[in-house]
Amino acid sequence: MYLQLDNISKSYNQQMILQAVSLQVQANTTTSILGKSGCGKSTLLKIIAGITKQDSGHIYLQQNNITALPPNLRNIVYLFQEALLFPHLNVYDNIAFGLKVKKENNTSIKIKVTQLIQHLGLDNETHKMPEQLSGGQKQRVAFGRALIINPPLMLLDEPFSSLDVETRTTMQQLYKTIALQYNITALFVTHDLKESLIMGDKLAYMHNGSLTMYHTKQQFIQDAHTGVSQEISFWNSL
Amino acid sequence: MAKAKTITTTLLLIWCITPLLFLVFLSVSIQWLYPHILPQAITGVHWHSIFTPYNNITQSAAASLLIAIIVATLAVAVGFVVARFIAYHKYAKRLLTLAYFPFAISPVIFAVSLKFYFLKFGLAGNILGIIIGQLIIAIPYSIIFFTSFWNNSVHNLLNVAATLGSPYYYTMRHVVLPQAKPFIITCFFQCFLISWFEYGLTTVLGYGKVPTLTIKVYQYISEANTYNAALCCCLLIIPPLLLLWINKKIFLKHTS
Repeated sequence: MYLQLDNISKSYNQQMILQAVSLQVQANTTTSILGKSGCGKSTLLKIIAGITKQDSGHIYLQQNNITALPPNLRNIVYLFQEALLFPHLNVYDNIAFGLKVKKENNTSIKIKVTQLIQHLGLDNETHKMPEQLSGGQKQRVAFGRALIINPPLMLLDEPFSSLDVETRTTMQQLYKTIALQYNITALFVTHDLKESLIMGDKLAYMHNGSLTMYHTKQQFIQDAHTGVSQEISFWNSL
Repeated sequence: MAKAKTITTTLLLIWCITPLLFLVFLSVSIQWLYPHILPQAITGVHWHSIFTPYNNITQSAAASLLIAIIVATLAVAVGFVVARFIAYHKYAKRLLTLAYFPFAISPVIFAVSLKFYFLKFGLAGNILGIIIGQLIIAIPYSIIFFTSFWNNSVHNLLNVAATLGSPYYYTMRHVVLPQAKPFIITCFFQCFLISWFEYGLTTVLGYGKVPTLTIKVYQYISEANTYNAALCCCLLIIPPLLLLWINKKIFLKHTS
């Protein structure tokens, strides 16, 4: 299995946030995790990224135990709800950041960044500073900054939640296209039912720190906890 | 409305500049005695005396400058690092309360209570002791100042940089320091001024053996030597004015 979580548990101030969460993710797939705010979705992603330390459990990425590795050595990129661009760097330098960390040569950086900027439709924004960009553009830059280092795993923590409906739809489509093109393996957490169905090749549901993984979309729809059947009933009743 | 604004600005300017002009005027005066409205002569003799060895003003200015630069540099460096530790600590509020301690009980009282230890370790009456004494005030100030910098936003940026593969020192150099630059400069200026104008603590721990420029001013006042006191005040004001000017330049450059 590409990513494997074994019995991850975490508690804060004696309150259980994650209860022995186990998960398996296949390569080149996006797994959506649906859950209400405060159910432990973000904590789970932060533990996988190495930003937060779990109380118990193990994480394996490409058969390697990465449980004890610091975040900068895990090669797992975390995309936050906010774009969190480096405010002192322009679009080009924000995207190039990961390559500069790896000390790639300037010619190679220039080629890769220019190509990605074109791909993300940011050609006219290359030298703009983050405060000059719209919310959607900022998320594109954040996405490009993550994508350029070709990480084996991307963790997306409701990255489109702060965008308006139209921009959100555009970004979801952009992600789907790029995920397919770049063979991205990702975990995508959201509290939006529709978004989880759109984004995920595989689906999971999180409630009070417990994770349920579904083998098929049908199983996900049929589970009363996910709220899909309620949503369908609502639309049918109109 | 515009006229009222001009008048207010002019009055404020006069209010700020008049005492400075008066100090400069006093420092070039001799025999300005009651009931004369103006001094009997204007002379550069007091200013010239700076360069003569008998009044030690140059040494005092140099000592003050040295102490202020060392105190400001160390306070900023230590405060920046410690503030990060405190800001993201589980008990951040409790730890930050400790930083207010030297101010809550007044620096002079703090110095008096530490006097015994300074004497015991041979730190009383020398520049090293003064630097350590002033750091006890300047470091907590710097910590309080920098805790506002180490907020959630910076914490998230540190995490973003880490997940992008950036090691700690690379993140500090390329992410944190460029953003902290205006904070560092401002804090350096303020710690410099704390040290530069410090009197009470320096008197208690210095035993008069380290005559900084501020102490020199009080010394001349107690000797009723108003002309030299005014001269020292002029020297005392130059660095803050210079810092204000540099600060304004940097701030304008930053905002533009």
